[in-house]
Amino acid sequence: MILVPILLPLIAAALIAALPAARATVVATFAAGVTFGVATQLGGAAAINLPWIDSLGVGVRFAPTGASAMLVIAASLAMIPTLVQAGRTADRPRVAAVSLLAFLGALNGLFLASDLVLMYVFWELSLIPTLVLLAAFGLDRKRAALMKYVAYAFAGSLMMLASIAAIRPLSGAESYALSDLQAATTALPAGVQAWLFAGFAAAFMVKLPILPLHAWLIDVHRQNHPAGFADVAGTLYKVGGFGLFAWSIPLLPAGAAALQPALLPLAAVTALWGALAATQQTDLKSFIAYGSLSHMGIVGVGVLSLTPAGMTGGMLLLAAQMLSTGALFLLAGMLHARRGTFEFTSFGGLGATAPALAGVTTLIMFAFVGVPGLSNFPGEFLALMGAFNASAAWGVVAVTSVVAAGVYGVNALHKVFLGGKTGETADLSRPEWGVLAFFLAGILWFGVNPGGFSAAVQADAGPTVVAAQTTVTPVALASEGGAR
Amino acid sequence: MIPEGISLQAVAVPVTLLITASLALLVGVFNRASRLGGSIAILGLTVAAGFGVFDLLQRGSATQNYFGLQWHAGPVATAIALTILLGALLSLLIGWNAAGAYGVERPEYETLVVLATLGGVVMAHAGDFIVLLLGLEILSLSVYALAAWNPRASEEEAGMKYFLLGAFASAILIYGMALTYGATGSFAFDTIGASLGSENVGLLAVAGSLLILIGLAFKMSFAPFHQWAPDVYVGASMPVTAFMSLVVKAAAFGAALRVVTAAWPNVDGVVLQGLAVLIAATLVVGNFGALVQPTVKRILAYSAVAHAGYLGLGLLAAHQGVVGANAVAWYLLAYTAMTAGAFAVAYAVSGDDAAADEVDRWRGLGAAKPGAAIAMTLFLASLAGIPPLAGFFGKFLVIQAAFDAGWVWLAVLALVSAVVAVLYYGRIVIAIWRDGRLGRDVTLPARLRLAVVVSVVLVVAFAGLPAL
Repeated sequence: MILVPILLPLIAAALIAALPAARATVVATFAAGVTFGVATQLGGAAAINLPWIDSLGVGVRFAPTGASAMLVIAASLAMIPTLVQAGRTADRPRVAAVSLLAFLGALNGLFLASDLVLMYVFWELSLIPTLVLLAAFGLDRKRAALMKYVAYAFAGSLMMLASIAAIRPLSGAESYALSDLQAATTALPAGVQAWLFAGFAAAFMVKLPILPLHAWLIDVHRQNHPAGFADVAGTLYKVGGFGLFAWSIPLLPAGAAALQPALLPLAAVTALWGALAATQQTDLKSFIAYGSLSHMGIVGVGVLSLTPAGMTGGMLLLAAQMLSTGALFLLAGMLHARRGTFEFTSFGGLGATAPALAGVTTLIMFAFVGVPGLSNFPGEFLALMGAFNASAAWGVVAVTSVVAAGVYGVNALHKVFLGGKTGETADLSRPEWGVLAFFLAGILWFGVNPGGFSAAVQADAGPTVVAAQTTVTPVALASEGGAR
Repeated sequence: MIPEGISLQAVAVPVTLLITASLALLVGVFNRASRLGGSIAILGLTVAAGFGVFDLLQRGSATQNYFGLQWHAGPVATAIALTILLGALLSLLIGWNAAGAYGVERPEYETLVVLATLGGVVMAHAGDFIVLLLGLEILSLSVYALAAWNPRASEEEAGMKYFLLGAFASAILIYGMALTYGATGSFAFDTIGASLGSENVGLLAVAGSLLILIGLAFKMSFAPFHQWAPDVYVGASMPVTAFMSLVVKAAAFGAALRVVTAAWPNVDGVVLQGLAVLIAATLVVGNFGALVQPTVKRILAYSAVAHAGYLGLGLLAAHQGVVGANAVAWYLLAYTAMTAGAFAVAYAVSGDDAAADEVDRWRGLGAAKPGAAIAMTLFLASLAGIPPLAGFFGKFLVIQAAFDAGWVWLAVLALVSAVVAVLYYGRIVIAIWRDGRLGRDVTLPARLRLAVVVSVVLVVAFAGLPAL
């Protein structure tokens, strides 16, 4: 059963490539729906362990954990309305459907893999559809954005590949299975672990993304198709935090502890800088991109706090922001369809003529900035709590970003929906309601039921948290002391 | 009739190739217009490959030396010989319809291809320097003629360049062998290996080994001895270019692997450091050189140099253990499949017309020939090292072997320069899938299509190969 969320979207993508274009969206949406349904049952799924390349120690190994099951649920849920919206707005709906489904399958494989090399295979495979989406649907200056994206992504990936290639010879692990690796790698000397961790971190920081490896993100979002379906894929693809959480910290706890003093500040600064930059944007899409970057910084501080609460919070926020940020990008696309621009100055007073649009956007924006009761809040809270435990000073920096979030969120709503009227605007259409309903349901679900997810994340992440706790606590305490 | 202690099994491949070459030549004598020679060559190469597979299965991991140390038989040597045969087969299929393109009769073309292949197989099995040189010269003399096969100025120039530099490289190699002989009193790898370790052989042996390294570096197209490669590759006709970058490269690495593992286990550290520096230069020059090339063929030529760098990494690791030798053998197989496929599609798209081969002239291939475009995308992705294709696992194996052998800085450099590779291969992929009109009509004749299909299967199913 664990293979369904991976193979079903991939098979559906192959089928759609062979089908006439008219059916593409229906089949794709149905496939994503079934994937979501299966994903909700993943918690009890049996692990899979099949031989693949014995001489390399690589196997087809998948195992669900609390965090990966939650992320698969969130990603699959977000993909359903995205496919609908892509079918409605893309000029080549079949290309969009195939890319988005292939991306979903590869992404689920990345979450569920329990073999390091297999994880890398899915890591690279999931990159390709996002490149296709940008290349096929991007705007005028997509070429530069594409090259930047490719350069950053592969530079990071190949650094990770270096660590992957080195980790087995160096540790003498029996295979690339997570459990085999962990038994051997945690015994490596701290210096070696730090170098290996740095290789992983290079890839994960690009995909978190955190400063200074985030530069590709804004360009890619700006050049993507205005309707936003490609941006949702980009949002789901911010998997660096998961990579740290599920792979590099459990495998290399001493390395994580050694590099924490360097990485935690970067994440905290990302959170603050993204939020401050978001307050200054004049363009709706850049605004969402920077706001989302700020959230990724909070994911980063949570995971890099190396505390159970912080790491759990990071994963919760990662899942929650898939829904809130994804919904905002599609909303931005709907606004663009009405006005033909993303410039804040061209909007204003939309609340009067499009009250439903204004109401839904307000709700989603509240979720985005972390209002309690909605999806982002529990994760954000736990992540920041973890950050404070690790380092009070950097915790303060990260928390400041939440204050700024309130400012940029309200500002954006104000500029778009309040103020002087700028002409008539059509309210939400029925299909648009349908698209947004999925996101609203997800946002409320993740908001009111954080306990269910966080318990699973924390329980199944046992080895991660234990390894992080046992090795890290003294160092974390020391750095906290230093900060004081 | 067969001398005692000689296994027919061990020499079945070269004997088959010799018979094949003779038959193909004879057919040409009696009927100039017949294509029978080509069929014989393909059949003979296939039969030889069958013998090779049989030997690989029978032998297991056993190694043995025949003819008084001169002929080495072992799994790695046989695997490389098989890759050489595969490369020869694919390049014959690619070039099948090129016959008569410039009004030249060609019964001898296939004969030379088979002879060159024979030379390559001999190099991969060499147990001493004399056999290595013999194989090298059989290979080189055949390829000099092939490079200048058609009466076009560019090909004549390519042939001449290749001949002059090849002769120069051979001379350096022979000088190195002579010095090594002077220091150790032997041409046999095993004896040299033992005496380099046991006695104080001094400067003479180091100088000899360095000269051998340089001679081999020419053949493997290591920077800074690579300059002939792009020129000759571009000047020669595409099927010959494919043959050179597949068979000649595999043979050169097969021979180098023999030298490094058998003759140099105790070689002076300076030689290995020198090899490491050459590899580093090759990785940088190959990858950055490819970035600025205007045509697909030139990009492939520079990428062939870059891939020599990755193979070199395995070669260097092979000095420390069998992991590296296996990595080189697997990398060569992956490289042969993806490069042959890329050359096949490139030949279909541009023929030998450099103007039609400019990257921008590839625009529209995706719409006009989706099958060929998908295949080319796969080949390029594999060359760039995207998992789970063949090139990724090849790269993974050599990098892992390099870490295993302690060459950390070189492994990291190899990965850093691989980022650039993604950019130049990506440039071609983007062009393929953009709208536009192709430079010329693209047709894929049946045998060329077969070469593409075989390559696609190997590139995609590489990770499923049972022995890996």
